[in-house]
Amino acid sequence: SVTPLSMSQPSNNNRKRSSTSSSSSYTSPPSSTTTTGGPHFSLMKKAKSQAVSCSFDNKNGFQLDNNNNNNNINSASQDPSSMIVDPTENDAVRASSAGGFTANLGRKKATPPQPAKKLVIKLLKAKPTLPTNFEENTWAVLKTAISSIFLKQPDPCDLEKLYQAVNDLCLHKMGGSLYQRIEKECESHISSALQSLVGQSEDLVVFLSLVHKTWQDFCDQMLMIRGIALYLDRTYVKQTPSVRSLWDMGLQLFRKHLSLASEVEHKTVFGLLKMIESERLGEAVDRTLLSHLLKMFTALGIYPESFEKPFLECTSEFYAAEGVKYMQHSDVPDYLKHVEVRLHEEHDRCLLYLDASTRKPLVATAERQLLELHITAILDKAWILLIFIFKFHNINTIGFSQPLTSGFTMLMDGNRTQDLRRMYTLFSRVNALESLRHALSSYIRKTGQGIVTDEEKDKDMVYSLLEFKASLDKIWEESFSKNDVFCNTIKEAFEHLINLRQNRPAELIAKFLDEKLRAGNKGTSEEELEGTLDKVLVLFRFIQGKDVFEAFYKKDLAKRLLLGKSASIDAEKSMISKLKTECGSQFTNKLEGMFKDIELSKEINESFKQSSQARTKLPSGIEMSVHVLTTGYWPTYPPMDVRLPHELNVYQDIFKEFYLSKYSGRRLMWQNSLGHCVLKAEFAKGKKELAVSLFQVNAIQLKETVEENASTTERVFQDRQYQVDAAIVRIMKTRKMLSHTLLITELFQQLKFPIKPVDLKKRIESLIDREYLERDKSNPQIYNYLA
Amino acid sequence: MRRASSKKASSNSTTSTNSSAMDLFRSATGKAATKELERIDQLFYSYSNESSGMIDPEGIEYLCSDLEVEHTDVRILMLAWKMQAEKQGYFTLEEWRKGLKALHADTIVKLKKALPELENEVRRPSNYVEFYSYAFRYCLTEEKQKSIDIESICELLELVLGSQFPQQVDFFVQYLKTQVDYKVINMDQWMGFYRFCNEISFPDFNNYDEELAWPLILDNFVDWVKSKQS
Repeated sequence: SVTPLSMSQPSNNNRKRSSTSSSSSYTSPPSSTTTTGGPHFSLMKKAKSQAVSCSFDNKNGFQLDNNNNNNNINSASQDPSSMIVDPTENDAVRASSAGGFTANLGRKKATPPQPAKKLVIKLLKAKPTLPTNFEENTWAVLKTAISSIFLKQPDPCDLEKLYQAVNDLCLHKMGGSLYQRIEKECESHISSALQSLVGQSEDLVVFLSLVHKTWQDFCDQMLMIRGIALYLDRTYVKQTPSVRSLWDMGLQLFRKHLSLASEVEHKTVFGLLKMIESERLGEAVDRTLLSHLLKMFTALGIYPESFEKPFLECTSEFYAAEGVKYMQHSDVPDYLKHVEVRLHEEHDRCLLYLDASTRKPLVATAERQLLELHITAILDKAWILLIFIFKFHNINTIGFSQPLTSGFTMLMDGNRTQDLRRMYTLFSRVNALESLRHALSSYIRKTGQGIVTDEEKDKDMVYSLLEFKASLDKIWEESFSKNDVFCNTIKEAFEHLINLRQNRPAELIAKFLDEKLRAGNKGTSEEELEGTLDKVLVLFRFIQGKDVFEAFYKKDLAKRLLLGKSASIDAEKSMISKLKTECGSQFTNKLEGMFKDIELSKEINESFKQSSQARTKLPSGIEMSVHVLTTGYWPTYPPMDVRLPHELNVYQDIFKEFYLSKYSGRRLMWQNSLGHCVLKAEFAKGKKELAVSLFQVNAIQLKETVEENASTTERVFQDRQYQVDAAIVRIMKTRKMLSHTLLITELFQQLKFPIKPVDLKKRIESLIDREYLERDKSNPQIYNYLA
Repeated sequence: MRRASSKKASSNSTTSTNSSAMDLFRSATGKAATKELERIDQLFYSYSNESSGMIDPEGIEYLCSDLEVEHTDVRILMLAWKMQAEKQGYFTLEEWRKGLKALHADTIVKLKKALPELENEVRRPSNYVEFYSYAFRYCLTEEKQKSIDIESICELLELVLGSQFPQQVDFFVQYLKTQVDYKVINMDQWMGFYRFCNEISFPDFNNYDEELAWPLILDNFVDWVKSKQS
């Protein structure tokens, strides 16, 4: 195809021809082409070098003495104004001198030398004028040529002559008029070419090919014309700022008449759009034709208005319809795959035939229609995806009320994370990540709520939560590209859902740990256990009322330690150190103290066995070991009045004696509720060991009751009340005077457990009543500390 | 008589230390003042109980009937305030003297006449807070008692604020009688209610903010009223 760019560069091979008129290779046409002005010396020069004497008619020319050499000629009176050159004579002279020098020489020799004649050159007074109709005639030649080009006929005139014609007109200051004539001539041909397309061909592809041909021809023709009139382009056009270059002039004419033949332009655009639509629908189309025609539009400067605008509208409609249709019929993963494919296609379209400038708005249009407008619907459907992932992991998804459509099939987990990944990528292109994030948050909260608030599923709660968290983490890593904001969303949502039910999750987590740390967990390796502890710790981190957890953990730990039920002391200590890192040493001081007591008790028991008291006074047949517990570290146990068998009482007394002899100043109190013993019994079938609590010995069973758990919780609340009071007093003591709102703010910062402002008010009023504080007399919003 | 004169002497000394400008003027005039004091004391003894030396509830009843005022009338409470009487239902001689002297009333007739002016005086905003707070303390009959039972509080509210803030008192009394959280009211809550009546627009509570330091009982009261209104 012809590109205009190459046309505007001047072709160098014509430069020679545009030089001055006094060229030595001058071959003058038979018509009058004489120069005006200065004398024509070339003949004289020639004569000089020949050193020949020629005779002329004195009337017309000048004469040379044949004996004279150059010097004589030079000294002859050479009055330029009186020189005249008769072309006809020149020819005759030349002819004779060319061929007949020797002849003349010969002849001259025969005749006696003439005396030297004087050379007089006289110029004509009148300036030479152009021949009549010079312009018309010159133009006629050019016009014929141009016409032939357009009509694709051979031209009798050769290029040299045409260039010369242009040159001549320009030199004689007729460039402007030449330009206008050329323009007019071109216009008439261009307009008729375009008009001839009107009403052509029903078939759009055929029509488009015709248009292309017309354009192609036009380009070739303008190129040629420009070539011929290059001199004009480089002189007159350059010097006249208001005038376009010939190529541009041609384009303008083409554009003008294309728009005048409006049916043609519209039909062309329509044809192009139809072709693109066909391609979108899967047909093969002539991409080269598309490309050429679109380049034509670009060259004509009408691409944005005439083509791009309707194209984008068309695209918008196409994808709007497609988006709706596909959303109804396909599931989310397929839909997203399809969108991806489409976006690729449109991108390629810009590489293959659309102008590069269209890429951005085109892709934006497609994204908008296929994605943006369907975000909500996609997200709604996407829950299905997430449900499948969780169902695959047997996560309890009760509480999620959206129905599953039967069209889904169980796919491998890997595919689903891919689908989510695709969704994430596509959504980020249309700035819809916020919607996705929000929906994810809602989903986690809703699903989590189902797990946490269903009381019947309490015993599975921790396990379900762990699995749920693990799945979410996996999706976050594989599908959501470890997005920070999404990470926070998951955390916040988890924190919310785990605290929906006060206290119970904390209790259950403590219980869960108790099970894991208890002996009898065969098959769990140390690493597995460590891993589980870490994961549980993550859940623990979300709990707001950590003191509830502490109370239960302590209680269970005490039982494990006292009854020797720990699976591994290392695991126990590992858990403590994890809690310490998480909550600080204050949280774990007492727990560590419990361990110390156990260690110490071992030592005490050893030395007791060795002691004199043990050896001499102990009743036989009983082996007893004692745990000595430091109050304050251990949970408080209700005192129970128990009547023990006599032997046990004796034993206790002896031990007490021993202990107090070692550690004076201490008080020992027997916690008989915690005692247990192993009865070695001989049955008929053999010896058996029964581990029973002391109460069982006395036929009283001690079972952990719901009440016990409730009272543990109660004690935590009581403890919280003290903490609030203490905090209020502490703050007021420091500040002496503080406003209500500031006091509340301070308290929220200092207290580590969740509490409502109402409860804080209660404690404040209680303290006012007890005269720790008073309301300020002048401003009731302020409290004063009463020392 | 001697007793009286000795009493007079002692009373002279007390009155001279506690006297107002008028009293000083009066005492400057000498005789008239002495006469007045005499009559005040006489009035006292006409109501007082011989053995206790104080006017007791029975005496107060007589006093009220002579004043032609119900003994549940707020003006009696105001009189007690004027006297700064410490024990509910009892007036000591000192208290009697203080009150009547301030009112320039040495006869029943004068005392009766002084009551409207007393009421005006008490109702002045600057005095009313004091009176309101006094009313509460006056009802703390037991030693170390710090709160008053709901029943009595309702009566006291009616008496003391009923005329000034009838709507608020009405609602609050209703609330107190129906709620179960509180069995008694303490001074802080009592004073809080007065501030509440003065500051908060009723019954819309537009300017009530429970995040401020209002006593919790009032937060609950507002919620209760709002739930009734909807």
